[in-house]
Amino acid sequence: MLFLENIKLALTAIRANKMRSFLTMLGIIIGISSVITITSIGASAQAMINKQFETLEGGYMVLMLNWRNTESIDYYADLFSWDDVEALKNRFPGYIRYIELMNLGNNSSTTKVGRTEATLTLYGAGADYNKFDKSIQIIHGRMINQSDVDAARENIVIDVKAARQLFNKENAVGATLPTAFYGEEKDLTVVGVYETPPSIFSGLMVETSYTCYVPISLLLGSDGRSAYIEIFASEKDDPIVQAEAFLSYITKVKNKPDDFYMYQSADEQISQVNTVLGTLSIALGAIAAISLLVGGIGIMNIMLVSVTERTREIGIRKSLGARTKDILTQFLIEAMILSSIGGIIGMALGMSLAGLGMSAFGIGVVIQPIVIVVTVIFSAGVGMFFGIFPARKAARLDPIEALRYE
Amino acid sequence: MKPDLTEIIKLQNLDKTYRNGNISVDALKKVNITIDYGEFVAIMGASGSGKSTLMNILGCLDRPTGGDYYLEGIDIKEKTDDQLSFIRNQKIGFVFQSFNLIPRTSAFKNVELPMIYGKIPARERKERSVALLESVGLGDRFEHMPNELSGGQKQRVAIARALANAPTIILADEPTGNLDSASSVEIMEIFTKLNRDSGNTVIIVTHEPDIAKCTDRTITFKDGFVVQDLRRKEAV
Ligand SMILES: Nc1ncnc2c1ncn2[C@@H]1O[C@H](COP(=O)(O)OP(=O)(O)O)[C@@H](O)[C@H]1O
Ligand SMILES: [Mg+2]
Repeated sequence: MLFLENIKLALTAIRANKMRSFLTMLGIIIGISSVITITSIGASAQAMINKQFETLEGGYMVLMLNWRNTESIDYYADLFSWDDVEALKNRFPGYIRYIELMNLGNNSSTTKVGRTEATLTLYGAGADYNKFDKSIQIIHGRMINQSDVDAARENIVIDVKAARQLFNKENAVGATLPTAFYGEEKDLTVVGVYETPPSIFSGLMVETSYTCYVPISLLLGSDGRSAYIEIFASEKDDPIVQAEAFLSYITKVKNKPDDFYMYQSADEQISQVNTVLGTLSIALGAIAAISLLVGGIGIMNIMLVSVTERTREIGIRKSLGARTKDILTQFLIEAMILSSIGGIIGMALGMSLAGLGMSAFGIGVVIQPIVIVVTVIFSAGVGMFFGIFPARKAARLDPIEALRYE
Repeated sequence: MKPDLTEIIKLQNLDKTYRNGNISVDALKKVNITIDYGEFVAIMGASGSGKSTLMNILGCLDRPTGGDYYLEGIDIKEKTDDQLSFIRNQKIGFVFQSFNLIPRTSAFKNVELPMIYGKIPARERKERSVALLESVGLGDRFEHMPNELSGGQKQRVAIARALANAPTIILADEPTGNLDSASSVEIMEIFTKLNRDSGNTVIIVTHEPDIAKCTDRTITFKDGFVVQDLRRKEAV
């Protein structure tokens, strides 16, 4: 029998029992929608994490004091110094592309130009830091360079938004910016203005201060100490292997027990997220499998009911010339369509839920077109698998007995 | 066996025994009947005498348990179930006492159905369904569902459906059994016309002598045996 006729027939049958069809689809709807919701959220989370590190060059890592294992610290003996940075640089020349102490912590400073006040977050940069963090795009002047770092020059690179607010213009190169430095006021010279390309976070964060870059040597001083060393390692080699090597070397140099220091790397964070998402997909797979199994059994059940109810109809069809195959396909297609409609509703529901969930974070949902295709094929497959038994039962009915059925 | 070109149906020593567990019923016993092309035959007999059993076998819905049935020279024994489906689709038009229209399916769709199984293109199906429904006087009832039609109208849809693939044999098992006398007359007129004007072989099961009178030949059953086979011309 013609395929199209079977589809029309199936839709008529499904429409004739709307409520029952809907309840039957519910299992599939719940199964598919939960899978779609969680995969969409997972994919979006993954995209978000990847995007966060997207502007950073590869091999990004931070060596740090392991605060968990440290009850009290000796500022000079335990924290990293410029000598430690030099030692690492000399020990791993081919691997380290950028290395500086890193000033994490409160470095906000207020500045006042004329009557306009602004809060700046000062970030200590090494030479050409913008080559490693692509979110810093110099639009006027230049970035902090090697001689700024070597001589600890009182120069600063400011956010274009700060330039607009403080100087009423974008090109503020050459302007003087009085800035409080550990209680001491310094007149910094603006040598560059940068802007940040818009990102998924731009809408998310309410900015109360402007990030500005000053030479790290200026910020920490020649005798400065920090709990963090920022490194961009070689991209060609495994970042984790390099990080381990740097860590064990510095632990030895500082003559500390294992676990006194630790590292965090971008790659490791990405892989951690992926591991979590991987675990999630296994759990999810189990949920999906169970709900689809339940949904499939529901379909089988209702198809068996339908075959029994329509025994006489099957007899009539056979008397009119329907072959075994015709009846089989009729019921199989009905089960597949029932299940596919459930799948499509589930997909729509899942995507809406994911969209709703993600919009709370101001993040767009990543919808993979492949998911749509797979969902439809998969749910049709579930319908086929669980529909085959009832369909065979229908197809094998004896025409005489079927016609006599009351 | 060489088929006789005038014979459409040939039954030789046909037996049918129903078995349900230990109980067995001999519904047909050593039946020998030959029916020619274009005959109009009435099958009569008391309830339980085996008429429906015979019709089901003639219509290839059921198989005999003994003896031979040749339909247009074809030995039914040798055909598979799907081949019998094809024979039913192409050669046989059924009309049942209880109409047997497919519920919640329009008159038009019901008539179209045998042509769908016969793989006739949609356009031709449509034309033929329309023509058939018009020919049984239901030109204004295409989209009516079976439950929106009277008994007589339902039976006319069933006849239109039976004629969909231009079968050679029309098998009607008590077609007027559920109808009032006015509708019965209308239905019998249609069968008579089909036989007289279109040359269809029509076999009709009935209890009523009035209806049997419309036919050329009456075969009477009793307890599964043929007890009388009368041609009207001979009778007159
Ligand atoms: N499926 C069946 N199983 C067992 N016995 C049957 C079955 N169908 C018919 N019979 C028996 O066969 C005999 C003939 O039945 P049937 O052909 O229906 O008679 P009629 O149509 O002349 O009233 C009856 O005794 C009936 O009870
Ligand atoms: Mg009967």
